[in-house]
Amino acid sequence: MLRLSWAGFRERWTLFAGAVLTVCLGVALVQSSLLLLVSAAATSAPAGATALARMRFDASTEAAVALLGVTLGFAALLAVFIISSTFAFTVEQRRRELALLRLVGGARRQIRRLLLAEATLLGVVGSALGVPVGVALMAVQTWLLHRLGFVPDGFSGRWHLWIVAVSVGTGVALAVAGVSLAARRAARVRPLEALRETGEATRVMTTVRWVTGLLFLAGAITLIGLSPVGGAVGGQAMAMNVSVCAAIALTLLGPSLVPAVARLIPVRAAGVLGELAAASLRDDRRRTASTAAPVIVLVGLLLGQATASSSFTAAGREEQQRWISADLVIDAPQAPGAQIAATPGVAGASTEVEVPIALTTGSGDLAYTRSATALLVDPVSYGRTHPGAGDLTALRQGAVAAGPGADGFSPGDTVGVRVGDRDLGPLPVVAAVPQAIGGGATVLLPAGVVPEDQLAGVPSHTFVQLVSGVPRQQVVAALTGVGTVSELDAWLERDSVARTATSTGVLIMVMGLGGLYALIGVINSVVVAGATRPREFAAVRVTGFTRGQAVRAAVLEAIVVAVAGLLLGLLAAAGTLVGVMATTAAVAGTVTVDVPWLLVSAVVAGTVLVTGVTSTVATWAATREHPVALLGARE
Amino acid sequence: MQSDTVIALEGVSRTYGAGPTAVRAADGIDIGFRRGSWTAVMGPSGSGKSTLLHCAAGLERVDAGRVMLGDTDITTLDDDALSELRRTRIGFVFQSFNLVGALTAEQNVALPLRLAGRRPPRDEVRNALAAVGLGERAGHRPRELSGGQQQRVAIARAMVTRPEVLFADEPTGALDTSAARDVLRLLRTSADNGQTIVMVTHDPAAAARADAVVFLRDGRIVDRLAGADVRAVADRLVALEA
Repeated sequence: MLRLSWAGFRERWTLFAGAVLTVCLGVALVQSSLLLLVSAAATSAPAGATALARMRFDASTEAAVALLGVTLGFAALLAVFIISSTFAFTVEQRRRELALLRLVGGARRQIRRLLLAEATLLGVVGSALGVPVGVALMAVQTWLLHRLGFVPDGFSGRWHLWIVAVSVGTGVALAVAGVSLAARRAARVRPLEALRETGEATRVMTTVRWVTGLLFLAGAITLIGLSPVGGAVGGQAMAMNVSVCAAIALTLLGPSLVPAVARLIPVRAAGVLGELAAASLRDDRRRTASTAAPVIVLVGLLLGQATASSSFTAAGREEQQRWISADLVIDAPQAPGAQIAATPGVAGASTEVEVPIALTTGSGDLAYTRSATALLVDPVSYGRTHPGAGDLTALRQGAVAAGPGADGFSPGDTVGVRVGDRDLGPLPVVAAVPQAIGGGATVLLPAGVVPEDQLAGVPSHTFVQLVSGVPRQQVVAALTGVGTVSELDAWLERDSVARTATSTGVLIMVMGLGGLYALIGVINSVVVAGATRPREFAAVRVTGFTRGQAVRAAVLEAIVVAVAGLLLGLLAAAGTLVGVMATTAAVAGTVTVDVPWLLVSAVVAGTVLVTGVTSTVATWAATREHPVALLGARE
Repeated sequence: MQSDTVIALEGVSRTYGAGPTAVRAADGIDIGFRRGSWTAVMGPSGSGKSTLLHCAAGLERVDAGRVMLGDTDITTLDDDALSELRRTRIGFVFQSFNLVGALTAEQNVALPLRLAGRRPPRDEVRNALAAVGLGERAGHRPRELSGGQQQRVAIARAMVTRPEVLFADEPTGALDTSAARDVLRLLRTSADNGQTIVMVTHDPAAAARADAVVFLRDGRIVDRLAGADVRAVADRLVALEA
């Protein structure tokens, strides 16, 4: 049986090489993200740092852990998805061969065992290659983390021997899982199907596919519906997950949807080649759906996340502009004290100092402590420069207010706050400012609860309101000694640039390598789709097509399928867009969307280009043999 | 029914579709095939030739009646038992040779034995290939062989298990005259050596090589000729198609 597998390997090496490649890269990506996650979680602050510095270090590691957690999640999702769909595809492409085995006496059990043995072998080979590739990938990801400023200096990913077991286990498990469902179906193939191309072979949409596809679709719609009531943090998370659910749903429903969408593309206008392309993509719906699947996932996930990220950043910027009422902003290396407010021409000044804290929510067994930030403010001045903040008069020593980035507690609760090594004890939450899409401090503390000496070297910014009619230059000149003075608009612009840089960095970290992996999945499926049908091309050629025409028809078909995949991927991304609109409308009161058109057009053009080139090369190779020679050899 | 009947169809019916478009491809067929006999099944297109063959081989379920292979009613067998049957007691040869393209001639022939869990001695497989005149071609892949050679590999594969019945569906349909003649000569030799063969064909020349010819129309057996020559077979077929 194994020799039979081996013979199958040699014959269909493109199919299996593609499968091994997806396992290798999937395993490498998961392994690298997991090792970095474990390394980040185990990092501790350098000895001798002050309590506050240690806290800041912990906060940044926690952020890195969260980021790497998301990265790992996406890597795992893509690996599951791309590996299982590739493996299922390899099984589907061999349906006739399997029917033939049944015809000469192969029992269902034997077919299943053959396919599972193959999957195990491919999984082992793929993961064995994936482990060293993962080490190389970790170097790339570590470089990215440093480059984007998500980890402290000196951070490096550490190798653990147990990861080999995890990687190989993951690779084999995903390969076997991907095959098992397809193998079950393939083993049910009736031997007579080897003799004809009709019958059950054309049934592509199984009940399981329908049900899971519709469930994911329902999930996506539910997330859209819930995102406006999820608050700033929950709403954003839900909106971002809409495209994930929608992409999975559309892929599962692909065999029905992709040909239907492809029908909308006026390919017939291209003459007889177009007609052939249209007919053959409808004829083999399984191949069509399998080719479109990685495109849907790539486009849906990448553009969904990118759109959400840039829209929420834009919403954050608008929100700041709306909320802050000030003329100037002064950045100072520490809290400036009372001298700003005492400067002639200044009507009001609100100094904000952000410090890292350890925040404990819940009580008893449910108590949970995490890194958070507190904004030290003078409640009255803060209220004046943030007119929408609400009533903060209750915020005094021994109390806290929920900040714009608060999550998981509200007025009436009691939270524990520790700043550096100073425990402020359990404090009642007495007020709350509106949640901000752009996030911000978790709690507001009245200035003065943290002693001056502990705040040495902690930067501050102060929003300054001027007395109307006072010459601006004069006040600016007087304040220059305190710190760097900026106009509010310029300051907000700088702040927004920094936020955009951060969110772009997150996107690159989370989706960059994953996107490349999905792109390789696209290439792989196009190669497999083209390489497994030389006989079909031969049949077209003996009816009078030149080699060039046969190739052009196949490339046209591949591009139409890719465009259909693109449209469905854009639909999935549009789901996130709707979620973004609902969330921003609910949280900020106005709908804010910012579609990264440059990225969208790059992804669209890139996908079409990659599909076209890959398909040209694959079909050119598949039409190398003389058509009559190919048709003569019947299987 | 004679005691040396290897396989018998008893009242076998099979209908495709339902309602006004339903097609009765087999309508109460009763027929037995004796050991060592070579029977050709003929009839116009759509007369139910292939259905008869597929039902007899357990590839197609029957709506009514039973198919007895020796003492076994194969219509009651489950899928595993039918698979086992295919690799031990039944052999197939098809118009489109249905060889596994990835395997050499030798590996194709060994396939049913390997599926049965046996590691066949090299000689056994080589002998089977030699018997069809392809001893020198054992290491070739199907696409490196001519149509006639591929069909002979298929026959070797079907015969290597020493099946009780060999079913052949248009075995010469895709071959040129001289390759067809080789294949028919092979089948004749096998039948003379005691192999039971049931063959569907539309070629009077092929049917005339068999011991008997059975004619079908609309799913019913309408005639039977024994020892007829090509002309007699052709005339009868023309009469049926009229």
